[in-house]
Amino acid sequence: MRSSRVAKSDRRFAWWLVWLYPPRFRRDVGLGLADALDDRMRARRSAGAAGVVVRMRAALDTIQNAGAEWFEVARLKLSRFESTYSTHTTYWADVTYSTPAIQKGRPMFDKLSQDIRYALRLWRRRPGFALVAILTLALGIGANTAMFSIVNAVLLRPLPYANADRLVSVWTKTPSFPRGLLSYREYEEIRKQSGSVDAVGLFLGQSVNLTGVDEPQRLIGIFATGSFFDVLGLKAERGRLFTEDESAPGSVKPVVVITHQLWRQRFNQDPSAVGSTMTLNGTPLTIVGVLAPPFDETKVPGDGYFIGGDLFLPAAQFPAPSGLRGAGPVMLGVARLKPHTDLRTAGADLDTIGRRLLAEDPKVQAGRSLFVESAQESVVGTSRPALILLLASVGVVLLIACVNVSHLLLARAVDRQKEIALRAALGASRGTVVRQLAVEAALMAAVAAVVGLGLGRWALKALPLVQPRGVPIPQEVPLDLAVLAFTGGVAILVTMVCALVPALRAARPDLARTLQAGSRRTSSSGRRTRDLLVVAEIAMSVALVAVSALLIQSLLAVQRVPLGFDPENVFTLQFRLPQNKYPKPDDIARFFKAAIEEVRAVPGVQSAALVRAVPFSGNGGNVGYVAEGQTAPDPANLPQARFHLVTPDYFKTLRIPILSGRDFTDRDDLPSPLVAVVNETFARRTWPGDDPIGKRFTTPQTQGPITVIGVVGDTKHYTATEPAVPQLYAAHYQVPLIFCSLVARTSVDPLSVERQIRRAIWNVDKDQPMWFVRTLEAQVDATQGPSRFLAILLGVFAAAALVLAAVGIYGVTSYGVAQRTHEIGVRIALGASADRVVRDIVGHGARMTAIAVGIGLVGAVAIARAAGALLFGVKPTDPGALAAAGLGLAFVSVAATYIPARRASRVDPVIALNDE
Amino acid sequence: MALRPVEFHILLALAGDDLHGYAILQEVARLTEGDLEMEPGTLYRALHRMLRDGWVVESSRRPAADLDDERRRYYRLTPLGRRVASAEANRIARLLSVARTHKLLSRA
Repeated sequence: MRSSRVAKSDRRFAWWLVWLYPPRFRRDVGLGLADALDDRMRARRSAGAAGVVVRMRAALDTIQNAGAEWFEVARLKLSRFESTYSTHTTYWADVTYSTPAIQKGRPMFDKLSQDIRYALRLWRRRPGFALVAILTLALGIGANTAMFSIVNAVLLRPLPYANADRLVSVWTKTPSFPRGLLSYREYEEIRKQSGSVDAVGLFLGQSVNLTGVDEPQRLIGIFATGSFFDVLGLKAERGRLFTEDESAPGSVKPVVVITHQLWRQRFNQDPSAVGSTMTLNGTPLTIVGVLAPPFDETKVPGDGYFIGGDLFLPAAQFPAPSGLRGAGPVMLGVARLKPHTDLRTAGADLDTIGRRLLAEDPKVQAGRSLFVESAQESVVGTSRPALILLLASVGVVLLIACVNVSHLLLARAVDRQKEIALRAALGASRGTVVRQLAVEAALMAAVAAVVGLGLGRWALKALPLVQPRGVPIPQEVPLDLAVLAFTGGVAILVTMVCALVPALRAARPDLARTLQAGSRRTSSSGRRTRDLLVVAEIAMSVALVAVSALLIQSLLAVQRVPLGFDPENVFTLQFRLPQNKYPKPDDIARFFKAAIEEVRAVPGVQSAALVRAVPFSGNGGNVGYVAEGQTAPDPANLPQARFHLVTPDYFKTLRIPILSGRDFTDRDDLPSPLVAVVNETFARRTWPGDDPIGKRFTTPQTQGPITVIGVVGDTKHYTATEPAVPQLYAAHYQVPLIFCSLVARTSVDPLSVERQIRRAIWNVDKDQPMWFVRTLEAQVDATQGPSRFLAILLGVFAAAALVLAAVGIYGVTSYGVAQRTHEIGVRIALGASADRVVRDIVGHGARMTAIAVGIGLVGAVAIARAAGALLFGVKPTDPGALAAAGLGLAFVSVAATYIPARRASRVDPVIALNDE
Repeated sequence: MALRPVEFHILLALAGDDLHGYAILQEVARLTEGDLEMEPGTLYRALHRMLRDGWVVESSRRPAADLDDERRRYYRLTPLGRRVASAEANRIARLLSVARTHKLLSRA
């Protein structure tokens, strides 16, 4: 019995097929036909037929009959044209019927339908041939459709906002940050002065604590200016959105806008939610409205772009200790350009504003400039090289599949050479033969495109199961006209590639020779064509295999990089303290100390510490610094250090080696002088050859000098591939911040202590939500997800290319050998040894392979150069990867040649010669 | 004028009872002892022609409620369709009698 899922998809497939009939036909009997197709598929399935075969037969039936119906329609139109043409010339009916236009038109339809019937007859006679060819192409087209659907969804489709083409991200650039946040001042100036911007808004997503409910919860809040909604064209579905006045610094309007999703989840879509109160970050806020979802979030990449949160809070509520205006650069900028304004104009405009700001306030604005970038680019730009590489790879797989099918058609055309030559002798034009081949290839491509489209869509459905976090592919990849057009275009291309070579060959049959009885010898040009196909096939596979080998090598290289800490058996979670509950640094420090005490007491916890940003969490920050006694450079170009806040025992918990000096202690707290631990790179760059312990430095953010008390080893913080940078650890108790993460090394499975650790923190504050509970190992692993995903996909494509190429080489060689049976028989009869025959055939194959491998490797290096950003720790010319790919393909190729060669050497000369 | 075999078989299948599309296919297979396995597309092309020419109509009558499937379209022979089928049957019968006189039939 087929499952209901299969039943549903069969039903859909049946409707698809019915859709291929002319509209009139569909209207009249479409419903019944869909039922009958469905019934037939069910019957065949329950008789035990394979799903592919079942659908294939339904598709073949449809192609044949829908094609015939369309011809019928065309013929009817034509005869209607005829009859109108002849209404007032009734007497000359005979003459009118031979009007050239009609004569030309009708035979063309007849011929075409004849060709189609002919092709279908050939398929029915050799269903295996048709099935293999169509399935090969369908897999290729399916993979391409799936890949293109992704490229389309991520890179090509406009962002799902009104006026998406005019949306831009507004960034600041400083010497150390190519893309930086905006300050409120910069925002205000752009708003006031810009002539190219219609509207500009600020926003930033941040965790907020929801309390006053059963269990404190963490929500994702988006702090935004009122103008943000205007920029994106967002509307309220209930109540209202907040205004620019309500979001401006100095205003303390306790309002919040919730998303439709949150309204559904928390309030069960209760209309009275609007007007009620939520306690967020310790402040009661009134819900003034529900945001209307502007699009289906499952169908767009990148977490809904700008609105991937639970609720919107006025920017003025942003928890900056010195207020929004005094906080420095804090938020992301997004703007809508005026109509017909291009990026360059807008960029120049913003640059001018940036310069004006710099002139007014050289100290704060030092080194900062403003620029814009298309919003789409800033959302998906980073995934472009990987996506293009993948699309190119499936393209190569499809090309190899085409070459295989091309060879199949060629082989059959050669087998039918006698028939074709006979027909030609009887007057069939070469055009007829070529047309037949082209029609057959087109028919194959059409069926394969329909099946491939289905396969591709099905593959996309399975994608979320294997897709790692951080890859911006929407949950539901949309099927739109662009995808259909792409698949159609691919089908046409496939037709051309498949039909081209056989058509060229068949178009010049050697009449005299082929008509000779028993002649199955092929001309040397036939061999050349086959050799060319083999070379193309091997070269393309070599290139693909080599590139994926390079990527796998870089993946391994990434995994070998020492991280500088030991992620095994470390429990982590994040939390943030509500600003108004912990208004003074003292309060925060007290909470920290108590929480650490509680966590350390949990059985199974060996050591625990707090840190502002756990490595590989994506959080973190930088700070500029000046060493005491060294001349301060231009304030815009201060050397930057990665800034960490940690409590005592952090280094011990993460097993970061203390190279000299000491760790922080509980006595490094608020009243005592500021101290810091630096990493090796910091020490080496700042005080080369000197003992850094006891040295002092300053930062613009802190008052007074900071004394170095220890040096620790370098660690990786964002990715394993980043270069070593100066790092600076300050004492959390001296600079308490509300954002915090807990790290705890355990002697047991880290996640087994989650409940106890949560309870330990709730012992200190029962209202404190915690999130991102995970092991440090999982955290590190997750950052490698996207590159692993890329390597796996590419590896799958390369494997497919390898298999297809092997099958192709085997097929071509078998066929070539079979054609030379006679010649081989003669040679064996004349005393050639079996070894000699094998050596000749394999030798020829090896020569072709050598040429192809050479071409393929050059191609691989070129591709790897172009995609250099995706490689790490391996050069595009890495001899290991290239040699592995080359030798692997050579081995496969020689093996695929050897088997048929071996068979040929066992030819019995008597039988071979009697064949004549 | 000879009928197309597909059409004649459909007429024969519908001569007994009103049937829906797939049931026609099954009935034809039964009548020909499995010799003629029509595909749905072929059936509906023929049905479409026959609907247009008025040989069959969509039937409003349904079989017993428990056998019925709400979505199904049933087809019924019109008097014209019956006449066409009967003319074809007679034509074949005449041919058969000729064949019989020449002892071409394996079974008498």
